[in-house]
Amino acid sequence: MKLRFVGVDRSGAVWASEPVFIKMSKREIVKLTLLSAQSNSATTPTKTTTTIRGGARRLLTLCVWTDMEYVNPEGLRLDGRRPMEMRQLRGEIGVVSRADGSAVFEMGNTKVIAAVYGPREVQNRSQQLNDQALVRCEYSMANFSTGDRMRRPKGDRRSTEISLVIRQTMEACILTHLMPRSQIDIFVQVLQADGGTRSACINAATLALADAGIPMRDLVTSCGAGYLNGTPLLDLNYVEDSAGGPDVTVGILPKLDKVTLLQMDAKLQMDTFENVMQLAIEGCKAVASYIREILLENTKQLESRRGV
Amino acid sequence: MVGLSLGEQNFIKGGIAQDLRTDGRKRLTYRPISVETGVIPQASGSARVKLGATDVIASVKAELGKPNPSHPDKGKVYIYVDCSPTAEPTFEGRGGEELSLELSSALQRCLLGGKSGEGAGIDLSSLSIVKGKVCWDLYIDGLVVSSDGNLLDALGAAIKAALSNTAIPKVQVAANASSDEQPEVDVSDEEFLQFDTTGVPVIITLTKVGRHYIVDATTEEESQMSSAISVSINRQGRICGLTKRGGAGLDPSVILDMISVAKHVSEQLINKLDSEIAAAEARDEEDEMDS
Repeated sequence: MKLRFVGVDRSGAVWASEPVFIKMSKREIVKLTLLSAQSNSATTPTKTTTTIRGGARRLLTLCVWTDMEYVNPEGLRLDGRRPMEMRQLRGEIGVVSRADGSAVFEMGNTKVIAAVYGPREVQNRSQQLNDQALVRCEYSMANFSTGDRMRRPKGDRRSTEISLVIRQTMEACILTHLMPRSQIDIFVQVLQADGGTRSACINAATLALADAGIPMRDLVTSCGAGYLNGTPLLDLNYVEDSAGGPDVTVGILPKLDKVTLLQMDAKLQMDTFENVMQLAIEGCKAVASYIREILLENTKQLESRRGV
Repeated sequence: MVGLSLGEQNFIKGGIAQDLRTDGRKRLTYRPISVETGVIPQASGSARVKLGATDVIASVKAELGKPNPSHPDKGKVYIYVDCSPTAEPTFEGRGGEELSLELSSALQRCLLGGKSGEGAGIDLSSLSIVKGKVCWDLYIDGLVVSSDGNLLDALGAAIKAALSNTAIPKVQVAANASSDEQPEVDVSDEEFLQFDTTGVPVIITLTKVGRHYIVDATTEEESQMSSAISVSINRQGRICGLTKRGGAGLDPSVILDMISVAKHVSEQLINKLDSEIAAAEARDEEDEMDS
């Protein structure tokens, strides 16, 4: 039988571009000609032959494999960045005039708007807390934010999970005991998603909360890092994130030097994990200094408008 | 939003009666419009329109699809509007659904014509590739980011700007396809066709407050309205769609008067919008050449 785009990885496992079931009878030996697939089809594939011995009606499942170089031999990533380089950051305060505080935050192609309404009277009396403020958060993605158009922008499990994560992170740093019996709403809308949406949302929420004048212990900044082709990479974009390697998202309070959010998926060696987490923390500190610059600039503008 | 006091309500109504609104505008003056195109790089076309504090984003995505069997030579267009909770805290969860549906259906009525696709503002037959087999499906998505009244006009303007920014890839159909199977379509990455938007109408909403009508109402003014009419008019001065909102009854002669006022206002709006869109596209090209 003919299989297209099949390859062998270093451990000798066989991979194909589509799941293929090969039924083999006992003692049948199948010779497979393997082609290694490259990310750009311009290069001619290399051929290797290998044999697979069949067992008693053994079904051999071949799985998807893409042989992509996420860090090329010169040390550059797919978008031309170095492994320890972050994407370009851009932030702006006061974009939604109706909201008490709002901000836009961009990390490369990921663009997020955050709006804060509060502190205001609690809408749902049963949820009112008598000694602190109630913090609520909703995360939604626009229909056009991802490459393929999304059908259901709100209410799916990922959005609910990220809303919860952002709420818990921001609640930990807002001085809620100063505003009892009130409600603070944080709404985050993703306009463009290209990896690292969670981090961009937290950074935008921090800026929006600062714009709203809500008292906080410290800024919360967040950044993600991963590990592909044996190198720790800072600030993964969508392509690198979907590679299947680990993705570590860290949120810190920069001045207090404390970690407030830590999430990871896939698996990683313990010492490699420490390296990757350290890298993400460095990224968070870089975001923090950028955010501080924006806030300082904003305060100067407010001062000059007041004639100080 | 906090409710308005009686004094504030009288101030708004009195101002409109004297042709001097709260922000200094005359009754038939629009707020400054700013248009930005190409804001969503992965869409086929996109635009962001700011009408005062109202901020909306529209994006157009073109995908290959099968035409409706009853209209084999026409493409399909779907319009969806989403109200983001960043605009109003009440839009959280499913709160904004009612308004989203109302806006989506009003836009569909204005831009898409009747059931048979006749009289549509968007020329559906230009979207057909192979009659009966392959056509372009246009998905137009609107997002309300910040709301300060007059959402329908802003969305109409954003959709018009997004459509003029839309570049549909050229397709080559394999010539030797047999008549009953799906033909192979090769979508070109390099060549694009600009979408023709001369026939796309704009939407003018006239809000009746007391005995006078105003154009481009803010949220405060809309809270004082008795009824509103949204008219969609194209460049030739033809009416493409009409919606009446609000509970109060209107005398038919008043409605005809409002329509003629809308026609008069639409000429200025269409010219202003076209010049803004052209300026935005020019800025967009300049940025592309610089980067």
